[in-house]
Amino acid sequence: MPDHTSNGMQCHEFDGLLSDALDGVLTGLQLDRFQAHVRTCSACGPLFAEVEAGRNWLKDLTEVEPPVSLVNNILASTTGVDTQRLRVNVSAPQPRIGWVERAQAWASGAMQPIWRTVRQPRFAMSFGMAFFSLSVALSVLGVKPADLRQVSLRPAAIRHTYYNTQARVVRYYENIRFVYEVESRVRELKRNVTPTEPRSGEAAPVKKDHKDDTTQQPEQKQERNYSQTDSRIILASAPMGPSVNDLPVVSVTTYRRFV
Amino acid sequence: MEDVQVVAMLVRRCVAGDAAAWEEIVQTYNRRIYNICYRFAGSANDAEDLTQEVFIKMYRTLTSYDSSKGAFVTWVTTITRNLLVDHFRKTKQDRITDSLDATASSREDAQPLSEQIQDQSAPPDARVRSREVGETVHAALARLSPELREAVILRDLQDFDYREIATVLKVPEGTVKSRINRGRAELARLLQRTYRQVM
Repeated sequence: MPDHTSNGMQCHEFDGLLSDALDGVLTGLQLDRFQAHVRTCSACGPLFAEVEAGRNWLKDLTEVEPPVSLVNNILASTTGVDTQRLRVNVSAPQPRIGWVERAQAWASGAMQPIWRTVRQPRFAMSFGMAFFSLSVALSVLGVKPADLRQVSLRPAAIRHTYYNTQARVVRYYENIRFVYEVESRVRELKRNVTPTEPRSGEAAPVKKDHKDDTTQQPEQKQERNYSQTDSRIILASAPMGPSVNDLPVVSVTTYRRFV
Repeated sequence: MEDVQVVAMLVRRCVAGDAAAWEEIVQTYNRRIYNICYRFAGSANDAEDLTQEVFIKMYRTLTSYDSSKGAFVTWVTTITRNLLVDHFRKTKQDRITDSLDATASSREDAQPLSEQIQDQSAPPDARVRSREVGETVHAALARLSPELREAVILRDLQDFDYREIATVLKVPEGTVKSRINRGRAELARLLQRTYRQVM
């Protein structure tokens, strides 16, 4: 813009007052000087007309309506919560925020990332499996929730609980069918391999009649036939009979009761 | 423009985690921000995306707002303006005044600016005519340089005062007035030149 003086006003001064003149805030002598400059200055006159025209053109621009989904999209991308729920009480007067509410808000904000992680299906599945495994383990060990109330932390009580638990575990182990079958097989093998000491004049060992048969079969004692007993005595005492070593080996399988 | 106490309370509630307060802020300012973005970017799609970005940025930086330093709307507009400038730099659509044969939008099949003005007197309905004039001015506005465009938008379309514009643009008030005047003059020259061609 050429800087020359017209009617006591320079063009750079005109430029500074142009906005105020269009806004209608110029008054008095300043307005008169401005208008006189507009009329006489060959550069500022057309400029004033253009600026005024441009402002008038811009008046044709009305506000446009944002898309209907804009607010929902914004809320979804910021808070990520259901907007319908938030609309409740938006216009209602809000109470003053106390320190308790602030603490709660802070806590909820701090817990939000953790809660978001917890809500993931993968985490829920892992937690479920861990809980299931723990429940099975406690059930196997015989721990009941009711027992926890009676837990005493005295050293003697703890020792007692320890030995009790140990005994229970050992009992459980030994009562496993597979374990005691293996043990009996081992005992049988040992008996077969180890030679029995021959004792002359000693009768064959009479099998002790235990009541540990759990096969639900009637006891042998009830069917004892004394005539057979007598004949056995005769056989044992017969000098010409087979020696102890020649007698057939009777395999005995013992069954223990499950506790 | 806004009740400072009410807005400050709204912001405090929002910072404290009140989701309803945040929705109220979104409801109050989405229209203004969308219009600034639309007039600056020139496209409805870009405006929608940019408006969302503005609110996301606002949501993340809401704690940094200090009501003693200025009005909330000025703070919001500053965020919007900074984001628009970033967007402008990324898209590299820097220009001052395009040829009249250039299309008003990025679409190749869009009408040139001169044809848009030629059609403006054709429809008898005044409302339709007004809408078409508005589209023509919008297209011309998009041809202004970003410095002039943002100043004109804030003053003539958003009714900000010079001090607020100076705060948003981070330039002195004198510079703001100068940019507004140059922007208006440039727009008028562009539209008058188009008019002369049509006539």
